[in-house]
Amino acid sequence: MAFQNRDRKDFNAGVLYIAIGGFFAGFATNYPMGTAVRMGPAYFPTILGGLLIFLGLILLFRSLGATDAELPTKTHWRPLLCIIGAACLFAALIGTAGMVIAAAVMMLMGAFGGWDFRWKEQLIGMVVMPAVCTGIFYYGLGLPFKLFPWS
Amino acid sequence: MDFSSVFSNLILGFTVAMSAQNLLYCFIGCLLGTLIGVLPGIGPVATIAMLLPITFNLPPIPALIMLAGIYYGASYGGSTTAILVNLPGESSSVVTCIDGYQMGRQGRAGPALAIAALGSFFAGCVGTVLIALFGPPLAELAFEFGAAEYFSMMVLGLIAAVVLASGSLVKAVGMIIIGLLGGLVGTDVNSGIARYSFGVSELSDGIGFVSVAMGMFGFGEIISNLGQTSETKNIEVSKVHSLMPTWEDIKVSIGPIMRGTAIGTVFGILPGSHTVIASFSSYTLEKKLAKDPSRFGKGAIEGVAGPEAANNASAQTCFIPLLTLGIPTGAVMALMVGAMTIQGIAPGPQVMTQKPDLFWGMIASMWIGNLMLVILNLPLIGMWVQFLKIPYRVLFPSILLFIAIGAYSINNSPFEVYMAALFGFFGYYASKWGCEAAPLILGFVLGPLMEENLRRAMLISRGDPSVFFTRPISLGMLLVSFALLLMVVMPQFQKKREILAEADD
Repeated sequence: MAFQNRDRKDFNAGVLYIAIGGFFAGFATNYPMGTAVRMGPAYFPTILGGLLIFLGLILLFRSLGATDAELPTKTHWRPLLCIIGAACLFAALIGTAGMVIAAAVMMLMGAFGGWDFRWKEQLIGMVVMPAVCTGIFYYGLGLPFKLFPWS
Repeated sequence: MDFSSVFSNLILGFTVAMSAQNLLYCFIGCLLGTLIGVLPGIGPVATIAMLLPITFNLPPIPALIMLAGIYYGASYGGSTTAILVNLPGESSSVVTCIDGYQMGRQGRAGPALAIAALGSFFAGCVGTVLIALFGPPLAELAFEFGAAEYFSMMVLGLIAAVVLASGSLVKAVGMIIIGLLGGLVGTDVNSGIARYSFGVSELSDGIGFVSVAMGMFGFGEIISNLGQTSETKNIEVSKVHSLMPTWEDIKVSIGPIMRGTAIGTVFGILPGSHTVIASFSSYTLEKKLAKDPSRFGKGAIEGVAGPEAANNASAQTCFIPLLTLGIPTGAVMALMVGAMTIQGIAPGPQVMTQKPDLFWGMIASMWIGNLMLVILNLPLIGMWVQFLKIPYRVLFPSILLFIAIGAYSINNSPFEVYMAALFGFFGYYASKWGCEAAPLILGFVLGPLMEENLRRAMLISRGDPSVFFTRPISLGMLLVSFALLLMVVMPQFQKKREILAEADD
């Protein structure tokens, strides 16, 4: 089975499904199964996990026999890492540095993921948007978050 | 059908909907909906997901009114950009681009916009009347439902949603299952055992579907937008001269609007991506029925009137299964179920009897919203066009921030933001490999409900699984599910799904 014939999308999806299905069905063994009448916490997850593994296997077999398959589009690392990184930065900073700083930093990081980065635009945004958000969320809606490292 | 009670219920509804607060939130919803409909790169699903945490702080009726307004408002806004700029602001406007933009190039943008708005308004009115007439009897029917029927109905809803949508069936069903499993994480109500929490206390409360929705639809959409080669430059906006359509225009559009409304009504009730299917089907129908089909693609007003009425009709009637049976028929409806659950309202037929002000208030406000949208869209077109001039590179960091704050505010905890980030990452690769996000969200919202009903059905039947097949309604639904699955295998259907798949890209 030459790997060139593999439909990589189906193959990857298949592996993903088998992994997730196996994860859920596997860890379900830690919980009681119960009976059909009184289903334990493991019952439904085990069935679903098993189904998922089955579907994953179908995808795997389908992928190995594929003749004309398009490759998945290549990963756009920059937007992916910048956006996800920005979100994680926000989560990490908000507890300690407060919302305003976390917001500004995450906007900057996120902006690196876009095209045509212009410092002036982003700097203005980094000042204006946290202010707007403070207005809407903190004052307007009364959501309780820490605004600054010292508050 | 008891007309007098329908009438008095509508009066109740309008009284509720016309309160200052509800009018305000209806307006906000329609405004936001138009805005995101106009702006490409952000759609109703992501917006509703982002606003869900805000609805925590609102009472249920204005919250749901606002979210609904965003949904049907987006279809109005999307047609504006489709006609003026040939950019579909949201998925169902793709069809409107075809003839609408051509009309714009011919100097007839005004009539196109007017007919689109009026057709949508007509469809909205009809949709409201239909919900008012058929809602109560449907809910009556649903009261006959026991646990087995609910379970089978959810199976039907999930299967129908993926069958009628595009993409690989196996992968979509898989995503549903992943969603179901994800929804099960947390403390099991029956036994008190924390499932899949691995000692992380936040997980024992379960994975909030809001974080999942924000991650996959919010972050995911931004990442995939940025992944495109570059920003579209040189947006040429057609000028709008006069808004008045000619009598000829109106005469020609009446038929398409009627037919579009009918098509939209049917597809709204069925699970799937209602607005997209409805608008495409209407276009195809109008082209077939036209005396001179070659005009289509060159500025035939029927190609705008029909699809616009269809997509608005479907945006209204898709609330019917939600408000009567409590079953979501698409990603947006799944989020609405979530919104209701957050408010402590269990979706189902009892909503109509226990909270008639919510049910009828929402229906009345949808009509009011349609009226607001006609007013918002036609005179204010110039303003909306200005928004198009904001480049995405300036916009998206702000959207990113809103999503992050929204996720954080769920529990005042960064955990939800990490969850959203995780699902954003997961969603990116899943969609690369052909696995769509919408089925996962549906599964996520329905997972715990399905398990509960399964357990209850088995408990009542004392472990006899044939109960799902012996009770007639349940059997009927499972048979339809099976039939739908078979249909997908048939070649004619394959072609239709491929066309839809291309439309979604």
